[in-house]
This record gives sequence, structure tokens and C-alpha cells, in this order.
Amino acid sequence: MAEKNSDFEPNIVAFLCNWCSYAGADLAGTSRIQYPPNVRVIRVMCSGRVNPLFVMNALQQGADGVLISGCHPGDCHYMQGNYYARRRFMLMRNFLEYLGVEPERVRMSWVSASEGAKWKEVIEEVVNGVKSVGPMNKFQRRQLNW
Amino acid sequence: MVEVEKLREIAREVISRDDVRQLIGYRQGTYGFRARPAFITSPEEVDQLIFSPACVNNLATYLTLEEKLPVPRGQEPDLRKVAVMVKGCDSRALVQQMEEKAYERDRIVVLGIPCTGVVDMDKVEERFPNVLSRGEIALEGDKFILSFDGRREEVPKEELLADKCKRCRYPTPLVYDQLLDQEVARFADDDYSDIVELEKRSAEEKWAYWEEKFSRCIRCYSCRNVCPMCYCEDCVLDRLNPQWMRRSVDLSENTAYHIARAYHLAGRCIQCGECQRVCPVEIPLMELNRKFYKDVEELYDYEPGTDAEAPPLLATFKVDDREDFIL
Repeated sequence: MAEKNSDFEPNIVAFLCNWCSYAGADLAGTSRIQYPPNVRVIRVMCSGRVNPLFVMNALQQGADGVLISGCHPGDCHYMQGNYYARRRFMLMRNFLEYLGVEPERVRMSWVSASEGAKWKEVIEEVVNGVKSVGPMNKFQRRQLNW
Repeated sequence: MVEVEKLREIAREVISRDDVRQLIGYRQGTYGFRARPAFITSPEEVDQLIFSPACVNNLATYLTLEEKLPVPRGQEPDLRKVAVMVKGCDSRALVQQMEEKAYERDRIVVLGIPCTGVVDMDKVEERFPNVLSRGEIALEGDKFILSFDGRREEVPKEELLADKCKRCRYPTPLVYDQLLDQEVARFADDDYSDIVELEKRSAEEKWAYWEEKFSRCIRCYSCRNVCPMCYCEDCVLDRLNPQWMRRSVDLSENTAYHIARAYHLAGRCIQCGECQRVCPVEIPLMELNRKFYKDVEELYDYEPGTDAEAPPLLATFKVDDREDFIL
């Protein structure tokens, strides 16, 4: 599938926590680190804020992949939000895989505010993963093309 | 098997109590082998009550289904207890509801029925189609005895037993005030073999399987309405702002509905199988629920509906939860 879609550029929705990952992505930007431009960032206050239905909804609305990123365990600004998120997305990811959504499409990462370089690696990993499984063609909403 | 006389005697005793408002049990249905819920408010009505392998409904649903209307000024709300008859699987729904603080333990009176298995009505109807007169089902040894129209048929237990009973881990209620019969030892277990088989397929095969199932859904919401765990007053499906899933019946929205429904039961579903039983288009909903059940058991060593004191699964965490999927 990778060959077939060699010019496929995926749309990836990323939910970043305000305190670590968003600052990490910001650091990557201010440090002028180059990373693939396929990510659309949505800032949330904590990875624990991300409702698992966000993932479902993003995939429905045409995202090819979803990334949730938060602080490292123990570093959460709200003490424990990322621990809750970890449980939720473990289950959500396994479940979507069970339905036939490739696990490459739903990713989670810990990126701290000082890890601009790690952010680049994470994005490259996610984008390559989604590229390898091709466009989402399972349950997105029908798009009207006028 | 529970003796009907003993059942009625205990029910009469319970409904005669001053602090009991209502008793929810089973009574004979209007046709065929079916049993239906009975809502008993006075001792005279107790003679309707039955229990047989035809009593498939999970009555725990009705405890949370009852509408709590505002009480007119000057009147006191009726705070008397509700008594409910539960099988082993239904009792787990009570435990899970109490774990989530849906109500306090002292608001209900639980009449526990040690259950040796109930029938799958679809299997019965397939075998004996168009039985319109009232029939009865009893379990003797390892055979179901079906009597109707003056006939008496014996069918091996395996052939009519509901699938959920073949995987039942808790035949004896986990919570009860009075047990109506001898405890039943565990006679089955769930090895998740069908779930594992489905997990092993490729992504395309899995999606092809579920696409066919989900596209059948007519969004009647029976599975939500019958579920003892789906008791949120403000359900995510009914919300208009934000509207999580649209009303249209198409593959995308149906899939979204089934993801949301199954996910909201993650770590909560107690395997009573009601959703799949009521589904008019025969979507194997329990295969979705059991995937979560299996994951939750394997990953977090948690079994819903077994301990009313335990915190709900997703409202808690362990520092060393698995995180090998995290980049």
C-alpha cells in the first residue's frame, strides 16, 4: 500500500497538552527543527481532557491519524491527568484495532516541554506509520463535493 | 431450580413490608414461551410471579430506568425500597450500579435466584416456530422440558442455552438479601476464543466483518435502552451541543454510535447479554463488549460488577499501567 500511495500526504490531528507537548512543539518551532507538516495541532489543557470520542470524531471527519500527546508520567501539571488518559487510550486503541482501524492511526506520546527534538521524531514516526497504511477509508463521513 | 411456591411466599413477605414500595419479578408472557417483567405493588398480585429458564430479562435495568419526577409542593417523595429478583448476571449489574453510586444499597431489596442457565428465545423459536398458546419451559437435569399445546418436548440443555450462560462465571448472585435456592457452583467460563479469533484477522478482514454488521443497524437504540449500565440522564447520543453523532442512519454514524456505546461500557459491562438479545438486526454486540471485558481483565486485572467497594476502572489508575504503545 505504501507504493500505491507514495504521494499520499496524511492529515493528522494532534491533541497536545498545554503544559508539556504544546510547549515541546513550540520549542521545536523556535529551534527551527524541520518536521513533516501533516499535523494539525489542537491545544488542550491536559491529555486527560481528551475524550476518547474525539478520536472517533476526528477519524469520522476525515483525519487519517490521531495523535494524543501529554506530559511524561509524574510530570502532569494536574498531577494525574495523563495517567487517566493512558488507560483510556490503551482501551480505545485496542478497540479500534479490533474494529479494523490500523493501530498506526491512533498514537499517543509523552513529549515534555524541553523535548523539541523528540517531537520531531514522534511526528516522523506517526506520519510514516499513517503513510504506510494509506488513507482512512473506513467510516469517515461522506463528503459533499459541490 | 427455584420452587414457585417458595418464590411467591418470600415475595409476599417482602411486598407486605411497610418499607417496600414495589417488587420487580417475572410473570408469564402473553404468548409462546416468553416471560415478561412483573411490577408488583400489592400482596394479591404475587401469584403472578414465576421463575423459569424463560426469564431472560435483566430486571436491574428498571431500577435506574424509573423516572424521577419532581414532587409537588407539600408532598414527600416515596423513599420506600424497591425489591428486585435477580439472576447471577443481573446481580452484577446491581453491584456495578452501586459501585458507580447510582443508588445506595439500602434503597433496594435483592431476591437472589441461583441460576442454572436461561434459554435463548431465538433458538427456541427456531426449533418450535409459531407457538402462540402459552408454553412453559423447565430445566430437569441437563434437559429443557418444553410443554405446550398438550405436547411435551425434551431438548438437551446445550441446544437451547443462551450463549451468555455458556460463558457465565457467576451463576449465584453476588449480592442478595434473600437467596431463593441453593447456591449453584460455577459451571462455565469464558475463554474468549471467538474474540481472539477475530483479533487475529487482518485489518481489512476485521473491517469487512464489522462494516457488514454496522451497516445493518437501524439505530433503534434498543441496546442502549435495555442496558442496565446505560442510565445517564443526559446521554451522549441525545446531545445536540455538541452533537457527537448525527441522527442519519449511515455507515459512518452507525460506526460512531457503536464505538461510543461500547466504549461507554468499557470496564462497566457485566455480560448480561441484553443488548444482543434485543437487537432486531442481530448485530453481535457482545463481541464488542467482550473485547473490552477481555482487555480490562488482561490489562488491569479488573472485573466489572464483582466488587461494589472498588473504584470504577476509568476513574482510577496505577502508576505502572502498561504503556508500551506510547511513543
